[in-house]
Amino acid sequence: MSMEEVKCYMPETLEQALEIKSKVNAIILAGGSDLMVSNKRTIGLTPVFDRPVMIVRNLSELKKIYINDKGECCIGAGCTSSEIAASKLCPWHLRQAANRMGAIGLRNSATIGGNIANASPKGDTPGPLYLLDARVKLQSLHGSREVPVSDFIVKFKTIDLHDDEIITQVIVPYSEKDFDYVFWHKVGTRKANAISKITVSMALKFNKDDTVRDFRLSATATGSKTNRSRDVEKIIMGKKISNALIEEVVQAYDKVISPRAMPEFRREATRRMIRRFLSESERHAKGKVIETYDGYKMPGAIEPEN
Amino acid sequence: MISENLTRDISRAMRRVDAVDKSEGRSKYISDYDFKDCLWARMVRSSIPRGKIKNIKLPQLPQGYYWVSYKDIPEGGHNYLHMIATDWKCFADDRVLYVGETIGLIVGPDKTKVEDLRDLIEIEYEEEEPAVSIDDGVACKGGAFINENNIHCHLKLEVGEDVESVFKRCDRVVGETIETGFQEHVYLETNGACCVPESNGNYTIYASAQCPFYIRKSIAPVLNIDPEKITVKQTTTGGAFGGKEHFPDVLCGPLLLAAYKTGKAVKMIFDREEDIENSVKRHPSKVVFRTGLDKDGNILAMDSKVYYNVGAYLASSYVVLQRGCFHVSGCYEFPNFRTEGFGVATNTFPSCAFRGFGAPQTLFAIETHMCHLAQMYGIDPLEYKSRYFIKQGDTTSTNGKIVEKVMIPEMLEQVLKASDYRRKAKEYKAGSGKGIGISFYNHGGAFTGNGESAIIKAKCRLHKYPDGTVEILNGQTEMGQGFHSILPKIAAHVLEIPVEKVIYKDPDTSRVPDSGPTAASRSTMIVGKLVEDAARQMKMRWDKEEEFEVETNYQHPEGFPWDQGTFQGYAYLGYGWGVCAVEVEVDPCTGEVTTKGVWSSHDGGHLIDEMIVHGQVNGGVLQGLGWASTEVMQNVGGHFKQTSMSDYMVPTSRDFPKQECFFVDNPYEWGPFGAKGLGELVFNGSAAAYIDAVSRAIGKRISSIPCPTEQVMLYMLDGKNIGEEL
Amino acid sequence: MEAKISFKLNGKNVSITTDPLRRLLDVLREDMGCTGVKEGCSEGECGACSVMFNGKMVTPCLIPVGAADKQEIMTIEGVRETELGARIVQAFADGGAVQCGFCIPGMVIAAYNLLQDNSNPSDDEIRLAISGNICRCTGYDLIVESIKLAAGRAK
Repeated sequence: MSMEEVKCYMPETLEQALEIKSKVNAIILAGGSDLMVSNKRTIGLTPVFDRPVMIVRNLSELKKIYINDKGECCIGAGCTSSEIAASKLCPWHLRQAANRMGAIGLRNSATIGGNIANASPKGDTPGPLYLLDARVKLQSLHGSREVPVSDFIVKFKTIDLHDDEIITQVIVPYSEKDFDYVFWHKVGTRKANAISKITVSMALKFNKDDTVRDFRLSATATGSKTNRSRDVEKIIMGKKISNALIEEVVQAYDKVISPRAMPEFRREATRRMIRRFLSESERHAKGKVIETYDGYKMPGAIEPEN
Repeated sequence: MISENLTRDISRAMRRVDAVDKSEGRSKYISDYDFKDCLWARMVRSSIPRGKIKNIKLPQLPQGYYWVSYKDIPEGGHNYLHMIATDWKCFADDRVLYVGETIGLIVGPDKTKVEDLRDLIEIEYEEEEPAVSIDDGVACKGGAFINENNIHCHLKLEVGEDVESVFKRCDRVVGETIETGFQEHVYLETNGACCVPESNGNYTIYASAQCPFYIRKSIAPVLNIDPEKITVKQTTTGGAFGGKEHFPDVLCGPLLLAAYKTGKAVKMIFDREEDIENSVKRHPSKVVFRTGLDKDGNILAMDSKVYYNVGAYLASSYVVLQRGCFHVSGCYEFPNFRTEGFGVATNTFPSCAFRGFGAPQTLFAIETHMCHLAQMYGIDPLEYKSRYFIKQGDTTSTNGKIVEKVMIPEMLEQVLKASDYRRKAKEYKAGSGKGIGISFYNHGGAFTGNGESAIIKAKCRLHKYPDGTVEILNGQTEMGQGFHSILPKIAAHVLEIPVEKVIYKDPDTSRVPDSGPTAASRSTMIVGKLVEDAARQMKMRWDKEEEFEVETNYQHPEGFPWDQGTFQGYAYLGYGWGVCAVEVEVDPCTGEVTTKGVWSSHDGGHLIDEMIVHGQVNGGVLQGLGWASTEVMQNVGGHFKQTSMSDYMVPTSRDFPKQECFFVDNPYEWGPFGAKGLGELVFNGSAAAYIDAVSRAIGKRISSIPCPTEQVMLYMLDGKNIGEEL
Repeated sequence: MEAKISFKLNGKNVSITTDPLRRLLDVLREDMGCTGVKEGCSEGECGACSVMFNGKMVTPCLIPVGAADKQEIMTIEGVRETELGARIVQAFADGGAVQCGFCIPGMVIAAYNLLQDNSNPSDDEIRLAISGNICRCTGYDLIVESIKLAAGRAK
């Protein structure tokens, strides 16, 4: 390991940050909850980075949450998990995921931009973001582009970010309002302050004739990146839900996921959650949120807005 | 005799003496001290589980930086640490036996430089095949490295007739194996120590530790010096649970040698990852039962083989194994009983003390086995177990007698009433997703048999100063359990002075007598009594003398023989007793367990402080629940797989609900104000109650812990049904 | 690389010239003398090092000191001097919340973080609020009770 001291930039505005980025491919450090851990040494020692670092934690331009004129939720990349969980503007699935990420102190630091950029298959926010067709806005001194989160995360720990770009915004076009039923369940390593063993996000909307208009499903910690398959979702679109159809979806999705550790558990839990959600939707269960079993109440759960 | 009005008062909660300083962040733990001219040390350790060290390539060390290894031990010095057995090497020499074995220290003034140098050290090994699990060890995988069979230690106990001949006349003999895993202590303060050489050639050790006198005795032979030349001063200790009973020796031995070599103070603080990967754990266990039954399911004879994964060095493990074997019959008396214990050598980090000291493993095993026997005959486990409850005067597994009154019936009543066990046990059908479980457990207080008088020989002094303050002088430590509040309370109570008038400092071995280790649930029971007796003597002289000292020595009561050679007789004079019930709900989609209620009742004699005891119960019960559920610690190929607090899962405030605790008042004849040991007892039973509950909720038999979510799911998928033939 | 970093610490302006990538935790403990901030896990999992950062609880083991530039930090050394902080400390002592004490300064911060916004929290809210602070001694029950006690003693 080289012990050369690396340069650290502390821009005060986004413009300054973009200018630095145009010259130096610095690591963007926002909350620090991933980078300060993966690069740590021991007690009392400065973490070691292999490239220059730019601290963007306090850039106010990255902290806004608003609804744009297309009705999409725009979340600044520097918004913390706590801020997202607390914002009624943010979609329910994402708020739930943000609210169950790590410890409270960590949630006050960890940002959505960082969580996406970390590209961990166990990351908490990608599941809902894949589900709701979210895009990231990538800005450089020369302009900006938008990329679906599911494309931006290329594979395990790899993202499609150019050297001069910064993730500035996450745009989520859908919310729970677009669905009749929603589901989000994280099986953590424990009940709080936990890493995901598996998390499944689902949403469903019926047509008036009880055929399925929209069904979506994503799962994290079930492969090298978050899994969503439009082909599997298509199986049920335009059709009435039946047990046979549910099994078809379950079996097809089972082929999509590829968990390495604890495969039997992850596959079986996924199968059971899909069955549960679709059969509860089919019987038009009361309320919008489907839980894994009747009477289950997730501690600190967030109610959907509509 | 216990005076009535005094006993009524003493249990009432007092404010702990250390609470405000700790809450305000004023208490100084070892990492908070600045030592003058202090060097910083980092350990260099084996990265392989078994093999020979071929070569150590050190970088060029700048002026003021040192490499410390076994080669620096002066003539006459020993490369061993005394930790009951004297086999744990201070430094590995030409071979290593586990991942994490100390090879040397890199020492120097700048922390970053020390770390940089450490990263440059290259060690070349000739690797050998390791034995990791109990089965590996027994099979002598890679060849035996301890004795001819990899068995570090062994013992055998028998009560009644020869079980093999009883088995012959049984209706059937069933077998079952129950297993438990490693458990990491996760004291919130990691290990740390500093060794300061003094100008007179002596050394002072500052350490986060349970047993200052143990350290002195353990490490003095490294320099071949009189233990008196080493002073150990305990610093505020942020949790221990047994993990700082012997283990600080492993830091302090090398630090002593480093201070000797450099002539400077040398400090070492483990970071969390280092501490989890390279510290002692609770022994994994495997208990193999064979039980002979008549046609109605009555137990005629039971045989148990107890295997503990000891790791590479024996250290304190023989004593752990003994305690395990003494507790394998649980709270029951069986007509014919045999147990045989094996301490198995493996190439894993040596296991050591952890709250319960070997008893939790066998208690979990017997409770779980009893459940499964009951279910095989369609009997409620509670009803089945209650047929065999041990009582005063009954015979123990060491052919001694139970001396005290056993209040399990009264405790059970409290727990049944609060938990509504009987209704729930009937209503929640096997596999319904809901379940309630119950367990019974005990813990023998203090050292086994006459160990307190034959080996420990505890002493305690009280000093009265002219201003009317009294100082307690002994080696017992505060590590969170509240002893530095309990002991002044006992003294103040006898002397009828305010507790603020009693001084009780963190021990400094140069000014206090050795009162034995702070371990084995002995502090209140044994040392508390010494203080009570000393205070009573002091009280008689109080008005006549301005400044004086009273010293008391432990005397073992007559008439309770014990033979340490054959393990026959009265193993313990006083046991703590416990009953615990746990109710759960299991998510049918995911296997996640939600605990709905935890009820317990404990007999700790007459309690010295209700609030401190309440805190002990809550904490101990929760640690037991963690051990049973989320605390997975695997060792793969000699390496611990869980290395941080993000992958070793101790319970948070959300994992289990508020507990309901009950107590019975059962004054113990030889304890201060009737108190007896409780600190370990409260750990011993919750795991079995939890697993009983989960097992009933999913309708499947569970025979090993930990049982995290994914394991529950696997049982749901293809476990053996409750009640199936064993 | 060194840079001058200034921030408000426990109500006072402080500045330090240091590597901005040093952990805020180390700067607080080693340079500012705030040893009540405890290091338990080095990765934001245990909460022992919790401090208030612009009015919100964070774990400074995850924060480079550069990110504290021009911000406001309060450690246990500051919180204990506030009315609410002192009330929590006293309630912890009376309610039996403290055993080994290593998690406790962080736990006091968690309680402060909760009670500053919610003067009458439920048991569930308290358990959520301290769920990022690991305690290995107490089983949490008496900490929860003590936080309730502190809330009840508000003037």
